[in-house]
Amino acid sequence: MKVLELKNVHKIYNSSDIKVHAVNGITLDFEQGEFAAIVGPSGSGKTTLLNMIGGLDIPTEGEILVDNTDLSKLKSSRLIDFRMNNIGFVFQSYNLIPVLTAKENVEFIMNLQKWPKKKREKRTLELLKAVGLSDRINSRPSKLSGGQQQRVAVARALASKPKFILADEPTANLDSKSTETLIEIMEVLNKEENITFIFSTHDARVVKRAKRVITIEDGKVLTDLRN
Amino acid sequence: MIINTAWKNVWRNRTRSMVVITSMTIGIFAGIFTVGLMNGMMGQRLDAALNKEISHIHLNQKAFNDNFDIQYTLDDIEKINAAILSVEGVEAVANRVVINAMANTATKSMGVQVLGINPDQEMTILDLDQTIIPGTGSFFEKESRSNLAFIGEDLAKELNIIRYKIEQSTIDSMRTREVPDEVLVKLEPYIGKRFSSQKAFQKEMKSLLSPHESHKYARIILEESWSFRSRSKMTLTFIDKNNIQTGGMFRIAGIYDINNSMFEKSQIFVLNSDLQRLTGLNENDYHQTIVRITDIANTELITESIIEKFKNLEIQNWKEIQPELAMMSGMVEKILTAFMVIILAALSFGIVNTMLMVVLERTKELGMLTAIGMNKKKVFAMIMSESVFLSLVGGVVGMIISWIVISLTASKGINFVGAQEGFEAMGISSHIYPSITNSFFIIVTILIVITGILSSIYPARKALKLDPAEALRTE
Ligand SMILES: Nc1ncnc2c1ncn2[C@@H]1O[C@H](COP(=O)(O)OP(=O)(O)OP(=O)(O)O)[C@@H](O)[C@H]1O
Ligand SMILES: [Mg+2]
Repeated sequence: MKVLELKNVHKIYNSSDIKVHAVNGITLDFEQGEFAAIVGPSGSGKTTLLNMIGGLDIPTEGEILVDNTDLSKLKSSRLIDFRMNNIGFVFQSYNLIPVLTAKENVEFIMNLQKWPKKKREKRTLELLKAVGLSDRINSRPSKLSGGQQQRVAVARALASKPKFILADEPTANLDSKSTETLIEIMEVLNKEENITFIFSTHDARVVKRAKRVITIEDGKVLTDLRN
Repeated sequence: MIINTAWKNVWRNRTRSMVVITSMTIGIFAGIFTVGLMNGMMGQRLDAALNKEISHIHLNQKAFNDNFDIQYTLDDIEKINAAILSVEGVEAVANRVVINAMANTATKSMGVQVLGINPDQEMTILDLDQTIIPGTGSFFEKESRSNLAFIGEDLAKELNIIRYKIEQSTIDSMRTREVPDEVLVKLEPYIGKRFSSQKAFQKEMKSLLSPHESHKYARIILEESWSFRSRSKMTLTFIDKNNIQTGGMFRIAGIYDINNSMFEKSQIFVLNSDLQRLTGLNENDYHQTIVRITDIANTELITESIIEKFKNLEIQNWKEIQPELAMMSGMVEKILTAFMVIILAALSFGIVNTMLMVVLERTKELGMLTAIGMNKKKVFAMIMSESVFLSLVGGVVGMIISWIVISLTASKGINFVGAQEGFEAMGISSHIYPSITNSFFIIVTILIVITGILSSIYPARKALKLDPAEALRTE
């Protein structure tokens, strides 16, 4: 089942005098349950591409269909709700609200979605258990390591049961051990719960674990390999 | 959840929030306390005016107030009294003979209005007996063969009935009031000397004492040196019923002090029987009936009913007699609310500034929140709640402090000794009892919340303009 389709997507930044063709005609399909890495040198357009997939940025040309909904056809207020209900995000940093505990951060979206309290709490505990943080539910982000914070972010991204999770360099700020743990948790979630992950990375060890590796350069797909 | 998060966000930068909260606390306290003073002051003024000066409703012949012609007496006073008393809400009536006169002592003369009253009847309307300066006599309590007059402190000073004199006993009592010896030594040469006016005495003291001593002790010296010539007399001259100039000698029965110079200087109370006899009026000839009502909220209603009964007479209530009083009592709340609005407007700049810093600092976080699905309404609500919390916390603390301070000072009052003369010229006692209504606290609370909301609009709009993709890229 297709969860995401990109059809000839372009992004041209026109800010200041120089035109930057950050994404230059990308066409891609993603199936439910993929574990896909987007790799490429710095400035190749990975972040731009993920932002457009996540509805944070609008393509200059082309179509992005999430579960057959064309993102560019949504009004901005509808788009925010669409993101909340369909797409999970894990960023490189600043993922969490510092004044809330791990549990409250995970609950945040479910709260916005008005889940009943019992159901919400049950799921929060399940998710924090899945990322191996059952013992840290009441810790604030400042009391967690970088890797633990990223695991809370994964749990939070999963909370609203999205179609897929986008992660832009989720391990960029982590040491190798934390990187290993995080990628393993993502792998398990992918295998056991069939969660779709699309992530960008520079890290060769992370690339190795991906089931599909899309290499881009100058905004174009260079290779698209499955192993 | 959003409100909860906003509350926690307030305490993220404790120092900065505390600065805003403290300024809010101080501003609100200063504002409410000042309002309490102004409110107390105006309440006291209204109270004094109604209970000691003018009463609630006046009734007289239509042309009487033009030049107080002695001929304009009221016909059948008993019937008038009975008719007024039959109106619901009327508490008491009193009748007065009103004559314009000149008051003379050996040294001075002053134009005054003489009110001939029946003391028992008058006391059902005004609290004149409570205004008497201790030691100066009484409100017509003692029988006397001579005519008696009850006069104001300021008139007594003008007519040199009150004088200033330093004696050994004066020095001794100043010592007990902690006036230091070096000041007392300076005063000793003045023992036995008399000053006929307050001005002359004050002038002398000013040249005698250093500015510092003068500032600290002038008031005590003035109070202690004050002396009243008992058995003082004055003559009153006026026109009698037949337009012939006449008059009489009056002994001072007592001196009253109501903190209103104008009134004290111009209004003299005498017995109606004395005045009727001297002017050739009959026993039942009165010019004016004054009325006390139980609740001043019914002023208009009762005035209407009395007007209904006496179409040919002039009937004025206190609002018409002293329009500035009516205006004051009607506008106090509005003026004081406007005053609070100005204070809050000034304080709001601090909140706006803080909230702008908040939005700037949290660019990435706000970008992340929009990205994961927090919509504009919720972002706005979060920033607005944070701003409201900032203003409300400081505001509530400020309100609590002002409530405590006002409660503590309300019974004993605060004495603005230095400004006494200025206050009395306006008809206000310098001893102010701050007072505030509970409804004012509600108004202020609402204003504080509005301040918080308005202060958040500009910063919140900035937050809403953030593009999540941009915000997340910024370093
Ligand atoms: N807002 C913008 N305005 C103009 N140019 C931009 C903007 N955002 C990105 N770019 C440009 O678009 C190109 C692609 O940037 P992008 O951030 O997508 O690359 P990336 O592959 O994520 O790089 P990195 O590995 O360093 O994160 C770069 O040349 C970048 O300078
Ligand atoms: Mg990037």
